[in-house]
Amino acid sequence: MRLGFRQSMAWLHTWAGLVTGWVMFAVFVTGTATYYRADISLWMRPELRAGPSEPAPAAERGLAYLKAHAPKAMAWYVSLPQPDRPLIGVYWMDSLEAPLGQATLDVGTGAPTVARDTQGGDFLYRFHTELQMMPTLGRWIVGLCAMIMLVALISGIVTHRRIFSDFFTFRRDKAAQRAWLDAHNVTGVLALPFHLMITYTGIVTLALMYMPWGVTAAYRGDDLRFYVEAAQTTTWSPAAGRPGEAAPLTPLLERAQGEVSEPLEMVIVNNPGDANATVVAVFEEPHGLAHQHPQIAFDAVSGKVVERVGALKPAARVFTSFMGLHEAHFASDALRLLFFLCGLMGSATIATGLVLWSVARMPKSGETPGLGLRLVRGLNIGTILGLPIGIAALFLANRLLPLDLPQRATWEGAAFFGAWALAALVPLARPHRRAWSEMGLAAGLLFGAVPVVSWLTTDRGLDFAGFDAAMLGLGLVLALGARKVARYEGRRAAPAERGPALGLVKA
Amino acid sequence: MTPLSIALNLALSFTGLAALCLAMDRHHRAIAGRGQSRARARALRLGGWAAIAASFAAAILTSDWNFGPVQWIGSLTGAALLVVGLASYRPAWIRPAALLALPLALAAALLA
Repeated sequence: MRLGFRQSMAWLHTWAGLVTGWVMFAVFVTGTATYYRADISLWMRPELRAGPSEPAPAAERGLAYLKAHAPKAMAWYVSLPQPDRPLIGVYWMDSLEAPLGQATLDVGTGAPTVARDTQGGDFLYRFHTELQMMPTLGRWIVGLCAMIMLVALISGIVTHRRIFSDFFTFRRDKAAQRAWLDAHNVTGVLALPFHLMITYTGIVTLALMYMPWGVTAAYRGDDLRFYVEAAQTTTWSPAAGRPGEAAPLTPLLERAQGEVSEPLEMVIVNNPGDANATVVAVFEEPHGLAHQHPQIAFDAVSGKVVERVGALKPAARVFTSFMGLHEAHFASDALRLLFFLCGLMGSATIATGLVLWSVARMPKSGETPGLGLRLVRGLNIGTILGLPIGIAALFLANRLLPLDLPQRATWEGAAFFGAWALAALVPLARPHRRAWSEMGLAAGLLFGAVPVVSWLTTDRGLDFAGFDAAMLGLGLVLALGARKVARYEGRRAAPAERGPALGLVKA
Repeated sequence: MTPLSIALNLALSFTGLAALCLAMDRHHRAIAGRGQSRARARALRLGGWAAIAASFAAAILTSDWNFGPVQWIGSLTGAALLVVGLASYRPAWIRPAALLALPLALAAALLA
């Protein structure tokens, strides 16, 4: 069968969108939540109060802990408290292969934190980047899906014949299929610059992982030199094998702070205790689009500055600006809200596209739906409502699990996946339309319960008013949606109402 | 990149997109209940694009070339969603809202 150009693009759009839609929906939703990662982390550690703190004493406390607990490590990392993360994070590397050791310390005492054991907002972030799998595998899956998503976006633009004449069109009172198509088009077109930007920059962020060969060939296997030249890290020099007496840390940090106006973010000690040890002061991103951290490296023994990282060459500036645009760390509250809105519209574009696929293939009355349609319907409801149910369960588990439970953070994750699996399986045993309204109501109730449970189990009162309002709002939207589905009389589209564009969806 | 500069952006983008929406016969009929002359549609289209251009200029002036374009595109998406929502659910509100947005833009511009 030979198809015209636009029809073959419609075919490509339909199938590229379908096969990646479920993964990309989850990536979009968790990525959108990650714009508020710091706020989620604060909410999930209600024992901690946000507030300013001095970086140098915190760095000293972190080093004291590392000296006592990881004296033989190759490198120490102390992530300093920030206003939205009032904790000292210490990490140590025993070998290049082993995973980093880590501990979380209280700012005031330097002792292991009293805050509950949780991944905080990092849980959703890790799901966004690697689906909470082994990092390499997860990132490959997300990256492949994102590449196919980019194909779906571009073929979708080609397929959409009336981008400008239908720019403001949402005919919600016409046939169901027409309304879903309009909703898909409106959320897709109005935020199209965001969708293209976020998908492209998301792929580019991990481009070196997908295509390492250019760097390997140009630098003859010395990849570390590439990262040094790209102003991402300081030079690594091997240990001398002789012990060395380190100079006091605080004066070094004060000198570094005299040179850079951004707040200190992290202190790294390479080869601690060795004669060749270096201390690296890493600062927060300067005001700008680029995601890049100025760094100053000192010889830990003599205290001399050995390296300054900061000036970006054009290629590195473009790359870090792409990363910066993707993460939007630069965005103020109001602009962040617009990024969040665009993320929601991206999630809605994918969700409406998935639903549209099944609505366009609705069996005539009396026919039984085929296996493919039943599979897509099951995955649709299991993803579009299952994921929000999982997220609500994660937040509820954060408040309800006993504080002294061993592996508590892992159990929070188990609540997320367990609730999601349950929410995906239950609808399979229910009539299709009723499953949507039941699961929607369940999701709405769970989100509505989050602030209530939080009020009952913590003494923070209205400290998290913004988070609580967002949860109540989400719950309300989901419950209203469920009511709409429950009340919907399956109005069949009269044949005359089916415009020519609808045929394309089925192509 | 203050909230005020984004409010200014949103208000100008909203007025511009609402005018472009009204300039289209199908939407004008749904919103105003009658058709419009070709001259009026052209005036709305011109005014709409002028407001969008003013929104771009405001973004560059308040947030410079670093963040201005990002903020402008974000405000267009937010404003367009509002126009579509109103056109579908409360069509009668579009014209008053677009006219109300202009003094709001002026106030935000004076304060920003």
